[in-house]
Amino acid sequence: MREYILKRLLQVIPTVLMITLVVFAMMQAIPGDPIVALLGDAYDEEDAIRLRREYGLDKPIVEQYAIWLGKLLRGDWGESYLSGRDVLDDVVLRLPITVELIILAMAVALIIALPAGIIAALRQNTWADYTAMTSALVGISIPDFFLGILLLLVFSFALQGLLPSSGWVYLPGTCPTVVCNESVWGNLQHVIMPAIALGVGRAAILTRLLRASMLEVIRMEYITTARAKGLVENLIIIKHALKNALIPTVTIMGLQVGFLIGGAIVVETLFAIPGLGTYGINAIITRDYQQVQGFILLVALCFVLVNFLVDLTYSFLDPRIRYGTQR
Amino acid sequence: MRRRELSFVGIVVLVSLLMSLSGFANAAESKRGGTLRVAYGNRISHLDFHTAPGYEMMWVAMNIGCGLVNITPDGQFVPDAAASWEGSPDGKTYTFKLRDNVLFHDNTKLDAEAVKISIDRLMDPETKSGMRRFYEPVDRVEVVDPLTVRVHMKKPYAFFLHMIAGYRTGLVLYSPTFLKKPDAIENMRRGEPGSVIGCGPFKFVEWVPGDHLVMDRWEKYFKEGQPYLDRVIVRVIKDPISQMAAFNAGEIDFIASFTPEHVNTLKAQNPKAQILTGKETTPMAALMKVTVPCDGKMMSEERCPHPIFGDQRVRKAVACYGMNRDEIVEIAFRGQATPWLGIIPPGTMDTVDVNHLCPYDPKRAKELLADAGYGPNNPLTFEIITDTEKAVFNAIATVIKEQMARIGVTANIKLVDKVTWLNQVLKDAPWDMDVEDRLSLLTLDSNAYLSVTDSSWNTSRHTDAKVDEYYARYAAEMDPEKRQAIAKEFQEFMADKLYWNTLSGSPFYQAAQPWMKGYTYNAEFEVHYETVWLDR
Repeated sequence: MREYILKRLLQVIPTVLMITLVVFAMMQAIPGDPIVALLGDAYDEEDAIRLRREYGLDKPIVEQYAIWLGKLLRGDWGESYLSGRDVLDDVVLRLPITVELIILAMAVALIIALPAGIIAALRQNTWADYTAMTSALVGISIPDFFLGILLLLVFSFALQGLLPSSGWVYLPGTCPTVVCNESVWGNLQHVIMPAIALGVGRAAILTRLLRASMLEVIRMEYITTARAKGLVENLIIIKHALKNALIPTVTIMGLQVGFLIGGAIVVETLFAIPGLGTYGINAIITRDYQQVQGFILLVALCFVLVNFLVDLTYSFLDPRIRYGTQR
Repeated sequence: MRRRELSFVGIVVLVSLLMSLSGFANAAESKRGGTLRVAYGNRISHLDFHTAPGYEMMWVAMNIGCGLVNITPDGQFVPDAAASWEGSPDGKTYTFKLRDNVLFHDNTKLDAEAVKISIDRLMDPETKSGMRRFYEPVDRVEVVDPLTVRVHMKKPYAFFLHMIAGYRTGLVLYSPTFLKKPDAIENMRRGEPGSVIGCGPFKFVEWVPGDHLVMDRWEKYFKEGQPYLDRVIVRVIKDPISQMAAFNAGEIDFIASFTPEHVNTLKAQNPKAQILTGKETTPMAALMKVTVPCDGKMMSEERCPHPIFGDQRVRKAVACYGMNRDEIVEIAFRGQATPWLGIIPPGTMDTVDVNHLCPYDPKRAKELLADAGYGPNNPLTFEIITDTEKAVFNAIATVIKEQMARIGVTANIKLVDKVTWLNQVLKDAPWDMDVEDRLSLLTLDSNAYLSVTDSSWNTSRHTDAKVDEYYARYAAEMDPEKRQAIAKEFQEFMADKLYWNTLSGSPFYQAAQPWMKGYTYNAEFEVHYETVWLDR
């Protein structure tokens, strides 16, 4: 097991480096450079030339990447071309917000998907199954931003500010800046709509997946044996069937983290949440390569870490799976 | 006689009493305290006010920083840190007497040296300030005494006061003590706490890029009793729907720039909201590229006529007779703008209505195109580049495309994001027509920044030195009447040449809650919160 963990951790390094290289190359390929965004309406060709030289943007791309990588190895994530601010400080400031949003979105997804998927499988071809599957289809079809707008219109506007439409309230003791509000209730009020907007689409996918795996598992011989032994039906479903049916679901949950981060970009912008998503989209819009690299690096690290944890979860769900041992 | 004298004294006393009572009533009306919550639709790029771009930064600079003079909506100059000023009749010197009670937020006293250092910094090419071009007429700044500063011009310049009051940020003064600190500008740019030092009504507290900026009342502000607010929190809310939702839910007191296409919705949803608007000072333009680099290298100084719009007949066919400005405004702006042809928009000083020079006449447009060699056998096709910053740009491009089809011309639309658009138009990339609005213009003189031959923002890349001569003559003329005559001649000249093709004014809206009082609307030029108070 230890060997497996070590091996997986070592695999993270080339994976992340490859991602940053690809992103660096892609950013260079898209039109526009950060100096134009930096100067904006004050653009002057002479100033632009001076600034490009100052920031090393006149150097070959490979050299720019090597400089960035060299700094990264020394723990320096670089500085934003636009604001001059330290990239690491800024991404670390925003990370907890996005992590909380993603965890809650996944929680929303599971709260919906677990019962819906199980019931749909157990009551196959009944109205409960059809309702769950139709809802899942609707859920998959509605884009995050559209659901977000609907929620905004209902809960913030029609219900006259029942839920706040934008901004963020931190959990007590987590405010990283001088001016911000802290409260559990306020935090919940601010996160609930974005979490639902992000989570519903994931719930729909997981419901369909869980239904399919449950259908497969409950027809297996060991379940028939359990029933023949006279075990309580709920126990059979929860302890024996669901645990095995969850393996593909957990794999997809890990992969869904990537989609959630992508969705967070849209949802955070819509709800004006100061998370990593808004940071990333601003960085891309302004072609701030340093910020984009920092954003991608952090997202890649999170993604790899989550999928690593997912792999470890398999052994808990199915004791037959043991890493690093010969069977 | 004595009785008449007594009655006169009585009237004076009565009037004074009434005036003081009314003043007292006003003062009593303005409530002190509270937090103003403002929404900006775009991020603030950074906090070195001398170099950062964008209106959002300017609206922060105006409240943290102070300058010498400000300008009112009716074009009157009012004192800021300068108590009084005087321009020489020949327009070659401007002398400012400073107030003696102005303190920077680091408690440094504002003096003539601070003014000199600030202007010198703006003029230094190493600063890389976008304001530098505006300061080109300035020769030097002289410190006469600690509270008197004199600015000497290289040549007569009629718009120096306009420039320091309202061209982009205007003049924002920096504290000399602060500038001497190591890394002062870098720290200011990053918005490090305690590093953004101005002399305005609010002192900087905190900036989280892309999220919020906080400023608190500066207790030692030189205007007695102001500002009224304890705190201003600026939040970045990019999406107009989210802005509207936050506004309607009462989470926001003021939207500093509201999209015209949602104004009617906001009015309907929130009838008590104050919708602020005024003169249209921003031009909405569809510029045509007039020249291209002969050697194919972008920004090359050797210029050849653009293959399509290098021909004035084609420019006139397409943009003069082929474009129906009324229809563009009706469809794209839902009628909330003024169709306009002149190089400066309808709300800018010395503007002239030259619309009659380009009546919509598709038949005449077709004749001109035929004259230039275009027709069914040789159809004209060109590309319109526009960006996603505002939905109205794409709407305008679409209307133009439809209007071009009516005269047998195919216009293809290329929709890109703002930075790509900037890269294309500023770097002399091969494009034919671009649709976008430009900077808000206080004067015709301020448009020189965008249209003289050697400007980076001369995106059509015309090479006509006559344009430069017009601007120079206009700026140097100290007689307002003669200046107006030059302005008229110039606008007619540009309407004929079409180096610059305005479609309309671009309306500017702000939205305030009914409880926000004391704010003076002055378009994008002046967004000050020092007189604002909250009535709740």
